[in-house]
Amino acid sequence: MNNLNTYLIISAFLFSLGLLGVLQRRNLIGMLISIELMLNAANLNFMAFNRFLSPEPFVGQIIALFIMGLAAAEAAIGLSIILALFRKLHSINIERAQKLKG
Amino acid sequence: MEVFSRDPVLLATILGTSLPFLSMATILIFTRHYPMLSSRISVSAIGFSLVSAIFLLVKLACAPGPIRYETGWLSSGLLHVPFGYFLDPLSLLMLTIVAAVAFLVQVYSLGYMAGDPGYSRYYAFQSLFAWAMMNMVIASSMLQLFIFWELVGLASYLLIGFYYEKQSASQAGKKAFVMTRVGDVGFFLGLIILTIGYGNLGISDLNTAASTHVLSQNLITLSALLIFCGVVGKSAQFPLLTWLPDAMEGPTPVSALLHSATMVAAGVYVFSRIFPFFSASPDAMAVALAIGTVTMLLASTMAMVTFDLKQVWAYSTISQLGLMVMALAAGGYFAGVYHLTTHAGFKALLFLCSGIFIHQYHTNDMRVIGKQGGRKLLIPMTCIIVGALALSGVFPLSGFFSKEAVLGALAENSNPIWLLAGLFGAFLTAYYSFRLIFFILCPQGGIEEKHPVDEMDAHVKQEHAEEHHGYLFWAMAIPVMILSALTLVLGFVEHPLENFMAGGIPTHHMQGVQHAAEQAHGGGHSWLLIAGVSAGLLGIALAWFEFGRKKAARVGFLGRFPTIWKLFERRWFMDDFFRKTLDRFVYAGLTRIFTMNDRRIIDGGIDGICFFTEAGGRLFSFLQSGMLQYNLLIMVLAAGVAILFFLV
Repeated sequence: MNNLNTYLIISAFLFSLGLLGVLQRRNLIGMLISIELMLNAANLNFMAFNRFLSPEPFVGQIIALFIMGLAAAEAAIGLSIILALFRKLHSINIERAQKLKG
Repeated sequence: MEVFSRDPVLLATILGTSLPFLSMATILIFTRHYPMLSSRISVSAIGFSLVSAIFLLVKLACAPGPIRYETGWLSSGLLHVPFGYFLDPLSLLMLTIVAAVAFLVQVYSLGYMAGDPGYSRYYAFQSLFAWAMMNMVIASSMLQLFIFWELVGLASYLLIGFYYEKQSASQAGKKAFVMTRVGDVGFFLGLIILTIGYGNLGISDLNTAASTHVLSQNLITLSALLIFCGVVGKSAQFPLLTWLPDAMEGPTPVSALLHSATMVAAGVYVFSRIFPFFSASPDAMAVALAIGTVTMLLASTMAMVTFDLKQVWAYSTISQLGLMVMALAAGGYFAGVYHLTTHAGFKALLFLCSGIFIHQYHTNDMRVIGKQGGRKLLIPMTCIIVGALALSGVFPLSGFFSKEAVLGALAENSNPIWLLAGLFGAFLTAYYSFRLIFFILCPQGGIEEKHPVDEMDAHVKQEHAEEHHGYLFWAMAIPVMILSALTLVLGFVEHPLENFMAGGIPTHHMQGVQHAAEQAHGGGHSWLLIAGVSAGLLGIALAWFEFGRKKAARVGFLGRFPTIWKLFERRWFMDDFFRKTLDRFVYAGLTRIFTMNDRRIIDGGIDGICFFTEAGGRLFSFLQSGMLQYNLLIMVLAAGVAILFFLV
């Protein structure tokens, strides 16, 4: 149980879940949450590799911290985009944003 | 800096000829909204130019030969075009004339243009005009001369169309620009042929080469004729002469400048500038002689029937230019240049006097001016009579001396017809100028006294009276008086001037010039003096008989022939001819083809390209579904395929 593959499988599962959410949910907030899932999958990978392959320098852990900061920034920007879109369309349904349809 | 302190001549040349440009730039950029300041800048710049021109004239009066400051501008293989200053007697004389007339005209404009909304713009253009002309005069190569020649054309276009809100003024400016451009094409072709055939456009080199038979006769004749086309356009010779009378649409001081020292004088100046070159081709000289004669006679006849004050002087300018071209073409180098000099003085005088009348009575019609008491304006009336006497060639005014010199040069020619034409022209000139004088001096039925009808009128009168004795009036009167004084004395400097000018021609040419000069004056032609003066006096007498006497009918002998009157009045139908030619050949033929080319081929081609681009865009636009997540899906799939391809 406590080996690398378990963590990798969990992380792959999380990533696919996130991808599915991004591709399939029509709600923008939902898409944003799914992106967070994908980021967490990557985080999990980093931690696992750090733990099992090269525990001495804490590079993996540091990168995980960075990714968390990045996720926070990304959430702020994403939310503000959603807010702007909401002001314009009075909805956060992605299907309403179809201005560039050819 | 050290160079300048060692060489004051160079310093004066550079400063004198570029200050007007600086003043133009300053006015246009900084002081457009301060009219008084603009005029002060412009007048002081041209005043400094005048001072430096006189300094150069005095300093170099006894110089052994022409002074050249040159640097190679374009040099490649056999081609050599210098760029710089060329100071010889001719250019120094012309520089002084230009600076003097431009200075007086600008001072005069202080009064004439006062209160005009475009005051600053006017002074900027005046400075541009003076700058272009002065640099043209001292150019050392034909190409440099041509550049400034075009700038002179530009400046005159701007000034003729100065009242651009007036339809006729902007049309006149356009006409002047386009008609002179027709000649300039010839000029430029001539320069190109010279470049190909000889490869050196330096003025002194050109003159030397032509007179020492380095160049082939055909090359000289061809390029001389083409360059003469430019002279025809600029100096309003036949057949490109109708732009000049229309150029009267500009302010009167502009006409004075245009007609005496700058624009039209440029053509004659170029002719005399490369006189040795021209005289190496007898054929070109013969053509020039014929064109000058035709121009002189045609323009004189037109001047006999118009009632517009300025138009009379405009036609007379054309005819006097014709006379100069005749003199030069007959080999009278000094006679032509001398007449150019004196003409610049008295023609500026005539225009500036007319300007005072026009400013005062707000009309160009000489009959109306006479009726309203034009003769009461003593200063302009006296001065305009001085100018008209000079124009008619009456002793002892400057016109007498120069006209005699011209007639002397014409008498040299073996064919007496040119001399007869010249005498006839002198007669017509005197007739039409004194027709104008008598119309103003002795109006039919005396002067109509204007009574102040109501207070408004009285107020206007009072304003006028104030204007008369104030600063504005003297700003106009003093230049006029200076010019009449010049007209009085300029005749007596003929011999010093002649000796001065003789220094400018290369030595192998000097003998011929001196020979001609000796012949022209006194030597065997004393009858010519009598003939010339009596032609003038006869014209004045006829004018007095028809317009000046108490009981005169004031119609003139031409009034009895309505057909001829109409012919003269419509300028021999030259404008109609140009109009018809334009309509029939250019607009109906060429323009239609060009329009078709433009609409069908150029526009059609661009439209076609647009159509295909758009259709192609439509074809593939289904790819843009407008759904964010479809795009995302495709991206993910593509990334997945790429990963599979690289990993497996």
